[in-house]
Amino acid sequence: MGIETNSLAAPFAQEPVVITHEDVDRAHDRARVQAARSRGGMSSRLRLLWLLAGPGVLVMLGENDGPSMLSYAATGAKFGIGFFLPFIVLTFVMAIVVQEMTVRLAAATQRGHAELIFERFGPFWGWFAMIDLSIGNFLTLITEFIAIRAGLGFFGVPPWAAVLASLALLYTALMTHRYWTWERITLAIAAGNLIFIPIALMAHPAWHSVGHAFIAWKPLPGGLNKDVLLIVLADIGATVTPWMLFFQQSATVDKGLTKRDVGFGHFDTVLGATLAAATAVATVLVTTLLFKHGMSADNFQAGEFAQALQPLIGRLGASLFALGMVEAGMVACVTISTSSAYAFGEVASRPHSLNLPLSEGKAFYTVLFACAALAAAIVLIPGLPLVYVVLIVNVIAVLAMPPALIFLFILVNDKELMGSSISPRWANVLASTVVIALTGAGILFGISVLAPNFFASLGGK
Amino acid sequence: MMKPTAHDSPDLAEQNLVLSTLEPNQLAAAKKNRVPRRQLKGPELVALWGLRVYLLFMIAVVIYQAWTGAH
Repeated sequence: MGIETNSLAAPFAQEPVVITHEDVDRAHDRARVQAARSRGGMSSRLRLLWLLAGPGVLVMLGENDGPSMLSYAATGAKFGIGFFLPFIVLTFVMAIVVQEMTVRLAAATQRGHAELIFERFGPFWGWFAMIDLSIGNFLTLITEFIAIRAGLGFFGVPPWAAVLASLALLYTALMTHRYWTWERITLAIAAGNLIFIPIALMAHPAWHSVGHAFIAWKPLPGGLNKDVLLIVLADIGATVTPWMLFFQQSATVDKGLTKRDVGFGHFDTVLGATLAAATAVATVLVTTLLFKHGMSADNFQAGEFAQALQPLIGRLGASLFALGMVEAGMVACVTISTSSAYAFGEVASRPHSLNLPLSEGKAFYTVLFACAALAAAIVLIPGLPLVYVVLIVNVIAVLAMPPALIFLFILVNDKELMGSSISPRWANVLASTVVIALTGAGILFGISVLAPNFFASLGGK
Repeated sequence: MMKPTAHDSPDLAEQNLVLSTLEPNQLAAAKKNRVPRRQLKGPELVALWGLRVYLLFMIAVVIYQAWTGAH
């Protein structure tokens, strides 16, 4: 399996243990965690947070991806802030409820999500989960390159150059062959997502209206109808999607978090959700300017949002907005293609870790890069209805979420797997609420498509 | 836990580091041991099949919406 195939008698097992490069790299990371933990005090806790945070922040900022930022931008431009600011914050609370479970599951089992489903429930159900994930991830990857292409297009970069540059960056991050280095590079890029916050300040939002939106939480603008429900579902899909379950569980295992680190894993998740929610709200605040000025944003792409905003927030603000779209697409390219590669490795029983040298992880790295390259190539096809594709992909992500959550729900309530980390009752109540809410939102969307007059008869438009 | 000793060779030191810092189920070799299979029970199967039908139906709705939108 590994290039270091030394066997030795472990103190905790009768059989010889095979040590691989992957184990050695992870052991170095864990040694730093143990050293920080042994010191005690506040500085030790901060050091532990620095060492143990990562998957949660990455998954949340990674989900603030190209299609998500476009959904938030379309939300502000079409509906303003009234209903949607508190709604978006609520979707991030849902994301915390869901992702928290993956941290516990990872620490308790030290297994990725895909391999747990395959091995625990058998290949029949495993393939369902994998097909959902593969299709969802590939469609989402296409939309990430749409965002990158459109964002760089604002600066006059031709599509082929935008796509090649992003693939080169993805390749560079992968060639470190070290989870820790990969995570820190990706986190540094992900921090660029916060750029939407200063842009929002440039837009000089009416803070009393923002405060009022959170306190009063106005009902849906225009009542329930197809357009509103499409945006509602797109905003939910911008926050909770199946790839996040697979990615955070696998990344937590790859990073080496144990049951003792779960508290830090939870903090990592909440921190990521807070940062991502602040960015999402900031994006809505910026594009609310378009709503106030009565500008239609029906067919805007990332670059067109930036162009439309330029007279309102200046060239600098518009340029930062376009760059933010590029960053959002880039980080998600890295995390989503990694999620696909983890799942492939887990299901195919091939080595799957970012600590693997190329010689040991050829299949893992090939899948990771090939997924991204194929999605990038599709984006270069001329005439694709890009914005519509983006919204539909987010909707599909929401629809695929309840089946994925049921697997997670069953796994975290499996006493044999989880032991003392089994889900408490409050977590089950919250998770059930999320499943019901997501399924209900999907059904309402279906009704709005199949029977558009149904909501009008109830008082909607 | 096994402790690294001063006269260990670098390789042995790394092996000792692995054994002293990683839990047994964190070793790459441990992942070869399969998680035991579990039969899904009545309510779980109902939920899984119900949501599978829901997903297929809703995907058809999305395709219908895309088709009507394009025309």
